[in-house]
Order: sequence, then structure tokens, then C-alpha cells
Amino acid sequence: MDEYALGVLTNIGLFSFVALSAYLLLIAGELSFGQQAFFGVGAYAAGSATAMFGLSLPVGVVIAMALGAAAAALVALPTLRLRGLYFAMATLAAAEMFRILFELIHWQLDVEGELVGPDGTQGFRGIRWMLESGVEPIRFAGIVWLLLVLVLLAFVYIENSKLGATIRALGQDPTLAGALGIDVQRVKLGVVAASGALAALGGALFAHHNTYIEPRNFDIMLGVHSLAYALIGGLGTALGPLLGVLLDIGVLEASRFLQGYRMIVFGGLVALLLIWRPRGILDEKVLHWLRARFS
Amino acid sequence: MALLADLLQNTLDGIALGATYALLALGFTLIFGVLRRANLAYGPAIMFGAYAATWASQHFHTNLFVLALVVLGATILAGTYVERTCFAPHRAGAAAAAMVASFALWMQIEEIAMLALPKHLYPFPALYEGAPLTLGPFSFRIEALVMVTAAVAICLLLRRLLYSTRFGIAVRAVIDDPRAAALAGINVPRTTALAFAVASAIGGAAGFLVAAGDGQVTPMLGMWSTLKGMLAMMLGGLGSLPGAVAGGLALGLIEAHAHWFLGPQLRDFVAYLLLFALLALRPPWMNTRSES
Amino acid sequence: MMTVRDLVTAYGKIEALKGVSLEVAANSITCLLGPNGAGKTTLMMTIAGVLKPTRGSIRFLDKEISGEAPDAIVRRGIALVPENRLVFPSMSVLENLQAGAYQRKQSINEDLEKIFSRFPRLKERSAQQAGTLSGGEQQMLAVGRALMSRPRLLLMDEPSLGLAPLVVEEIFRTIAELHRDGTTVFLVEQNAHMALQVAQHFFLMEQGRISFSGNPGSLAEDEIIRRAYLGSAR
Repeated sequence: MDEYALGVLTNIGLFSFVALSAYLLLIAGELSFGQQAFFGVGAYAAGSATAMFGLSLPVGVVIAMALGAAAAALVALPTLRLRGLYFAMATLAAAEMFRILFELIHWQLDVEGELVGPDGTQGFRGIRWMLESGVEPIRFAGIVWLLLVLVLLAFVYIENSKLGATIRALGQDPTLAGALGIDVQRVKLGVVAASGALAALGGALFAHHNTYIEPRNFDIMLGVHSLAYALIGGLGTALGPLLGVLLDIGVLEASRFLQGYRMIVFGGLVALLLIWRPRGILDEKVLHWLRARFS
Repeated sequence: MALLADLLQNTLDGIALGATYALLALGFTLIFGVLRRANLAYGPAIMFGAYAATWASQHFHTNLFVLALVVLGATILAGTYVERTCFAPHRAGAAAAAMVASFALWMQIEEIAMLALPKHLYPFPALYEGAPLTLGPFSFRIEALVMVTAAVAICLLLRRLLYSTRFGIAVRAVIDDPRAAALAGINVPRTTALAFAVASAIGGAAGFLVAAGDGQVTPMLGMWSTLKGMLAMMLGGLGSLPGAVAGGLALGLIEAHAHWFLGPQLRDFVAYLLLFALLALRPPWMNTRSES
Repeated sequence: MMTVRDLVTAYGKIEALKGVSLEVAANSITCLLGPNGAGKTTLMMTIAGVLKPTRGSIRFLDKEISGEAPDAIVRRGIALVPENRLVFPSMSVLENLQAGAYQRKQSINEDLEKIFSRFPRLKERSAQQAGTLSGGEQQMLAVGRALMSRPRLLLMDEPSLGLAPLVVEEIFRTIAELHRDGTTVFLVEQNAHMALQVAQHFFLMEQGRISFSGNPGSLAEDEIIRRAYLGSAR
């Protein structure tokens, strides 16, 4: 397969994780401008684990997800009572604080005669586990997509379970959910932590795909993009965020003649699309209709 | 003694910075007040205005006054485009859709501006090209004095508009309760669109002051205006116009002092930490408005 | 003065008004009674233009007005005093009244004087923020605000809701005065007893439809009250 196309395919997979993490929060009724922080935590954590401590990628990913969940919980605990724009701004403030922390971390270890580790704004070079372990790009793309499919299956399972109904109930009407006996705060905390782990998973894989990460990768742009992917693709199903990522990275980035005009076209299309479909292409109504037709 | 001098100088610098932040916050708050939504394309509209004036200054030889008008006009134009596309069609509910749409237009407007002027820095005719005034151990940049004066004038004008005119009553009625305003005979969609234009004009003024004060324009102006404006708006208590001014000044002062004592990265960190802490603790002045 | 015919208003798929027909005669006080959830507020909001009907017609002074925007309805001479008053809490009493006169370009001082003489308590508190007024004072203010547009037809949605009995009497005295001075009043009320004292004609509304139309003498009062609170299916 053409190397460029493979790269695009891998990127679609990687960014789907952070789009899914924004999606999870959206269906729980909250807007987050901060998922990029957990993507970054995952990237730095996994990169450190493999490049600085010689651990394998699977171990690095697990560590990344744990730290991502912890970081998200750290952000969520003081802000559980916030809603709407207040919560969104709190996540934005937290994410920017994480990004500045990434800029301030200078921690390098001597690994086989070379200094490896995050170096503030200079970034973190040498995350070469893939090359050193002989994992070719096509196999890596396979790993990314396998993990993504597993995550999607988990989503499908949860969406059809009581937990899924609880989360969506929370998203529709938190007061009513509380009155029905749902522990709103605990569910919200769980959702945020899960979203952190999910974003971190994407970040961990991203770090190894790129072999180099820097704080600028994890700025507000990524966060608002993830939110946009989730909302455009549709909030009816976990395939929605995937669709959103596909539309931006897959179709538009790949179509080279739109090179300098990508955002002009995409931005305009998104704004118009949202007028027509405020909850995305694959929104709840479409899903109901599809389920009715094919059951 | 030197410490006191530093504190005072930082305070002066902070007020100058805070004046711009106050204007940005006012614009955001006005839009939030009438629409109950955050407009993520506010900063980019300002950048569009500044870029339009930069382009004009390159191709025609005009004075600062005309350039100021160009900035205002172009910002209002971009702002109206955003209002018509992202906010007018999404009246109730659909808050996320409106905000994400405004983000999409942020990207679009920024790209349009950068296609016209692709470099990382463009000179902009300066407000004043000369040495700062010195008074003992303190220095005052003349540009900063002009910025503060202009900001104060704009705030007073806005106050006049909102509290002494028929239009002002309509805007404040819509901010208080759009349904009741409609029942009182106020044309809510038109009032909202006009208020949005006023907010854009205020943003444009801030953008002009920054561009002319710094003597340059960069592509970061859009992101910067959005971030600082939203930060200042939230610090002062979402939805309150006097709060926006207070929040802007406070942000300016905090940044000036933090920058001096802690450096540029920690300066930003402190501002974000303060906002996060305030949101977590929710002191009374922050509970002003909720969204629809 | 106003004729509503087969009006249907829906929230999504749910029809709150299922074909309402009624008439309000000029220079009268007409009352609309009915249990909660019957659709009375929906009807008022539809006439006022805040809600758009899916079908049916509203004719006012021989002009079709259904579907017009709320500010156009006010221009036609219809003003609604909404349920829960909906005053502008951060604005002063005076500013609330000025807002009500938004459509009027000419001088409003005469109207302000009239409102203040009708509601002296408002004059005392004219600089006070409306959010700090008592319930009864807010009701007066809401009525005053509606009157500032010089309406031919005044719609009132549950003006006595949540108010003390003495205040309720005052409200109804005001309604009677307004009628005497030439304003037509169409009011929705829970307090059927008080409403029937002042009304010349009344309608009963249940589940989105008019179920009865008559003068206060045409049904025994306790029968009316029973139907107004419980509906006739009992």
C-alpha cells in the first residue's frame, strides 16, 4: 500500500481515539475543550516508558491509559458540579496547564550513550520502539485499527446496556437523572476518567507512530477538533466520531487539490451541516430509523 | 524599595494590558448575554479585521484613523457572517452545535486571512514611534496610555448606549429574558444581530489598539484574542458586563506581575490556575448566568 | 374582536392545541378556564406569536395574524401579560415600563403618568430593580408593561398565580377598571370564582380543545369550578 495512504489511515485511527473521548463526554451531556491534555499525557507517558525505561509498547500503553485516567479524574474531581460553558472553560484551563507543564519538563536519561527524554519546548525525540522492534508501518496500522475496533465493540456493548442508558439519561436531563436515583457525580467522574484513558491510548500510539512529540501537538486546536469530529459525525453512535475524523483527515487532507483551502471548505461545510443536523450526521434519530429498518 | 518600584511598574503595565483584555471580554460577554453562547470565532473575526487593515496599509497610503475604520468595518463584516451562519439558525437548544460551528468558522476565517497574508509577521503602522516617557524609576509607553484612554472611552460609550438609549433597553431586555422581550414588542432577532455587531466593533477596536500598539500583526492574534477574552470574561463572572471589565483588568494585572516574577510560561500557568480554582470554588460573583 | 378557528399547535409530534375555536367580543372581559395541562398557556403563547401554530387561523380586527412574529403582534395591538410575570429582573421598574413601550416612537410620558397613577406603588419604586419587587408588585409591573404598548386587546395568563388574596382582589379590581376604560381583556385563570365575578363570557378548555362556552349564569358555579379544576370526564 502506498506509504502516504497508510499514514493517512493510521492517523484516522489515532485521532479517532481522542474524538471518541470527546464523544463520550458529549453524550453524557458535557462539552470538553480539554481532551488534548490526556492525549498528551498518554503520549509522554508511553514515550517515556518505552524510550527511557526500555519497556514494551503494550506495557507503555497500559501505563499511559492509567495515567490518562488519573489525570482526567484529577481535573474532574474539583469540577464535578460545573456544567455547560463553566465546565468547558475549566477543562480548557486544565488542558492549557498540562501543555505548559509539558513545556517545562526537562527530564532526560542516558540510554545507551544517548540522552533521551522530554526536553521542554524542544519536544521528545527518539521514541523508536517501533523501529527497534521491527514493527513495520503496515503492522502498526493494523495494531491501531485492531485496538480501535475493540474500543468500538466496547462502546456498542455499553450503549446497549444499562450503563449506556444511564449515561445518555445524564446527558439528556441531569436533574431528572438525579431524581431517578442516578448518582450523577459518580457517573460523571467515571465517564471523564474513561475518556481520559481513551484519549491517552490514542496519544500513546501517536507518540510511537511519529517517534517525536512536542507540547505544541497538544494544544487547543486538537481539543476543539476532537469535539468537532464527534459532533459532526453524529452523537447517535460511536461510529459518529469515526465518521467525523474520516471526513476531515481522510477525505479532505487526502484530496491534494484542496491543499491550501482545506479549512475554508471544511469549516464552511461543518457550519452548514450543523444548521441542518445539530447533532451530527449519524444522530440519534438516524440511528433509531436504522435500527427500526434493520431489526 | 526596588521591589515597590517593580510592583508599581508592573501595575502600570498590567493596566495597559488589562485595558485590551477588558474590551475583548466585553465583546464576548455582550454576545454571551444576548445569545447564551460562547462565540469561538470572535478572535478570528478580529484577526480578519486587523489583517484587512494590514493589507490596506500595504496597498494604499492611509493614516491610522482610516485603518481603524477598516479594522472596525472588516471585523463587523466577519462577525455578521459568523452570527448569520452559526447563531441565528440555532435559536434554542443546540448549544454545542452553535459553538462547534463557530469553531469551524474560526478555522475558515483564519485560513482566508492567511491566504491573503501568509507571513508570520507583518508591520502595522504604530500608534506612536518614540521613546517611552520616564518619570523617576517608572516608564510609560505612550502607546499604552493611548490604549487605556481609548478603552475607557469605549467603555463609557458602551455604557451610554446600553443605559441611555432605546436600543440599550432592548438589548438589556433580551439579555434578561428573550421571551419577555419578544412579548414586550422587541424584535429579538434584529436586536441580537445588532448587539452582535456592537460586540464585533468593540473587538475590532481592541484588535486595532493591539496591532497599532505593538506595531505589528501576527497570525496568533485570533487565538490570542479568543483565549484572553474568554479567560477574562470567566474571571469576572460570566454574563456580567462590569465583571468583564473587572476580569480584564484583573487578568492584565495578574499577567504583568506573574510575568515579572515568574517568567512567560508560568505567567500563563498562573492565569489558568486562577481560573480553574475560581471555577472549582465558585465564589458568589461567578454565579451570574447560565446557558439556555 | 378576535376569532380563533381550529387552531393546532404542536411541540414536536405532541399536539398541545388540537383544534381550538373561540371568539373574544370587543369591550368584554372573556375568561378561559380549565385544568392544568389543558393547553391554556400554549394558546396564549400562540396568539402572542411566541409559538407558531401548525394549522388554523387567528383573526384580529378582520386581519389574519396567526404565525406572525411577537413584535408584529404587539404592533397590531395585542399585549400578553405572561404566566409568572416575566419582568426584567436586572432592570428598574421604570426601564421595564420603557421596554414595554419599545414600539412606540412618540413620547411615552403621558402613558407613564397614567400607569403610575393606576399603580401608585410602582411610582414609589420606579428606580428599584424589578427582581427585588414582591410578587404582587411584579404582577402590577407586568400589567403596566403590557399597557405601555396601548393594546386594544390585553391577554393575561394566570394573573393571580401565587399571590395573596388581598392582592388578588386588587388585580381583579384593576381588570374591571381596564375594561371600564375601554380595553378588551382575555384572561386565563385558575381562580375560577374571582374570574367569573368579572367576566361576561367564559370558555372551558380541556386537553387541547374547547369543551364549553357560555356566560357566568349558564352553568352552576360549582359545576364550572369542578370542570375547571378536574375536567368533565369525572
